[in-house]
Amino acid sequence: MKNRKKISAVPYLFLAPAIILLVIFNLIPAIATFKQSLFAEAARRGADPIFVGFENFLRIFQDPVFWKSAKVTLFFSLIVNPLQTVFALGLALIATQKVKGIGFFRSIYLLPVAVSINVVVVVWGLMVDPNAGLLNGILKQIGLMEQPFLTSPQQVLNTIIMIISWKGVPYWALFFIAALQAIPVSAVEAAIIDGANKWQLLIRITIPILRPIILFVLVADTIVNFTLFVPIQLLTQGGPQLASNLVMYETYRRGFIYGDLGSSSVMLTIMFFVILIVIGLQNLVLREKN
Amino acid sequence: MIPIGIPETKNKKGRRNLFSLKTMLTIFRYVLLIVIAILVLLPLLWGISASFSPLEKTYEYAYPFSWKAFFPVDFTLEAYQAIFERGFGRSLINTFMLGITTVMIGGFICTTAGFAFARFDFPGKSLLFFVVLLTFTIPGDLTVIPRFIMIKDWGWINTWQALIVPLLANSFIIFMSSQFFKDFPQELVDAARVDGATWLRVYFSVVLPVSKPLLISLGLILFLSQWDSYFWPLLVAPDQQFRVVQLAITESVQEYQTFWNELLAGSMLAAFIPIVLLLPFQRYFINAVVGAVKE
Repeated sequence: MKNRKKISAVPYLFLAPAIILLVIFNLIPAIATFKQSLFAEAARRGADPIFVGFENFLRIFQDPVFWKSAKVTLFFSLIVNPLQTVFALGLALIATQKVKGIGFFRSIYLLPVAVSINVVVVVWGLMVDPNAGLLNGILKQIGLMEQPFLTSPQQVLNTIIMIISWKGVPYWALFFIAALQAIPVSAVEAAIIDGANKWQLLIRITIPILRPIILFVLVADTIVNFTLFVPIQLLTQGGPQLASNLVMYETYRRGFIYGDLGSSSVMLTIMFFVILIVIGLQNLVLREKN
Repeated sequence: MIPIGIPETKNKKGRRNLFSLKTMLTIFRYVLLIVIAILVLLPLLWGISASFSPLEKTYEYAYPFSWKAFFPVDFTLEAYQAIFERGFGRSLINTFMLGITTVMIGGFICTTAGFAFARFDFPGKSLLFFVVLLTFTIPGDLTVIPRFIMIKDWGWINTWQALIVPLLANSFIIFMSSQFFKDFPQELVDAARVDGATWLRVYFSVVLPVSKPLLISLGLILFLSQWDSYFWPLLVAPDQQFRVVQLAITESVQEYQTFWNELLAGSMLAAFIPIVLLLPFQRYFINAVVGAVKE
């Protein structure tokens, strides 16, 4: 008790640098984005921007390029997030089997985690080159049809999903591997004594225990893929025919290439609220059974 | 799953059938493990091999495909020499220094914050925790433009601090450390306090020395946050003297020609340096990350 009064300043001093930096570099820019979305561009340099309320939003909602981009993003998210989560769980189950040499395989599987997305995109970008790439080389060799990959509006999204999943699946598998290794042996043994087979074990024991991790991976993966930017910029610049023009890339085009910060901020604000809604929904769906 | 190739007669001896079924299952398991390993290694093996090839042979064995695509049959160091002559070494040093500075300062800032959340009760604690939680939910990519404008207004364009300061406070690492310190033995802290040590002293000489797993994983996360960064340096420090690894790679793509083998040489260096750093610490990394996620 004696200590209580003496230490009162300490926690604040310990927290101050981190909190101040977070507020300056994260919170204030977020508020600035929101504010920007409610103002019109100043007519001339130095003039004050004019408050226009939700006019920017109305303008965006009537913009066909935005809707096309939103549709692409929705389609992309609905495929990539469940796919990466399920494959990551599968990979984790495979990588935690009790067989000889599994540690060696696990180390290989986790290699992509350390490779930056920039490098992943550069190397895969060369591999999916329709004219000289390794993938079409292999397809031709085994007698299959060569594919246009990134140059086709129909295939571009799937190709990007394939490329980012090379890193994404092992990355999220890392979380599942750790969680699987932490499952108490007693729980598994009890189920085996009850006569459960492997499949029942997975459904009744493993998945329920992993539920919070599955939720975390799904939420975090959704955010990462929603703000996906580098692969699009390096590989397709939104093309062909805007087929890979995800909303995040569209905000970059407007903000940085066309200098239209107003509509860029509007889209970022919309994205932020959509992310919040998605997180809320996923929480609701996956938590209800607890 | 009954393997087709096994003759019916063997079924009479139950034990033998069981044995071969089990063998088949084991073989199937290893086939699966190897196939996945090949999928993971494919781009890395081709990338390494092509980066050791002369420019005109970069695609030679990729299309039409031959097994030579994965072995540097025309071995040359041409591409590596070329990128180092263009200053790749400088960008490696830059990125290392940025990474180490960020780990030291950022590590200190985030762990002290985590320690305060885990070990003190004070007015406003939940409000401050909410700030951390909020910044965790707002993806940094969504707020790049105002952050960039702020840096520009401060005259920080083409400075080291523009590359370092915004990456120091990391809400995920604050969570992670606060989680870690909650399980820290109270007796050790109490004993040092009774001996009259200040809190800063307790933090440095009692808490940190036994926090190795935490320090390793936050070190890796913060180091990779610098090593992987591409878009932010492109915006705030475009000058040659500040060039970081991820930007240096793309220099091989030039207006009239792309040097494919050099592009791959840079990429392979950028990929394998963190792999070498990460591999020995895999277990620490996994445990700390999951400790933070469990809430």
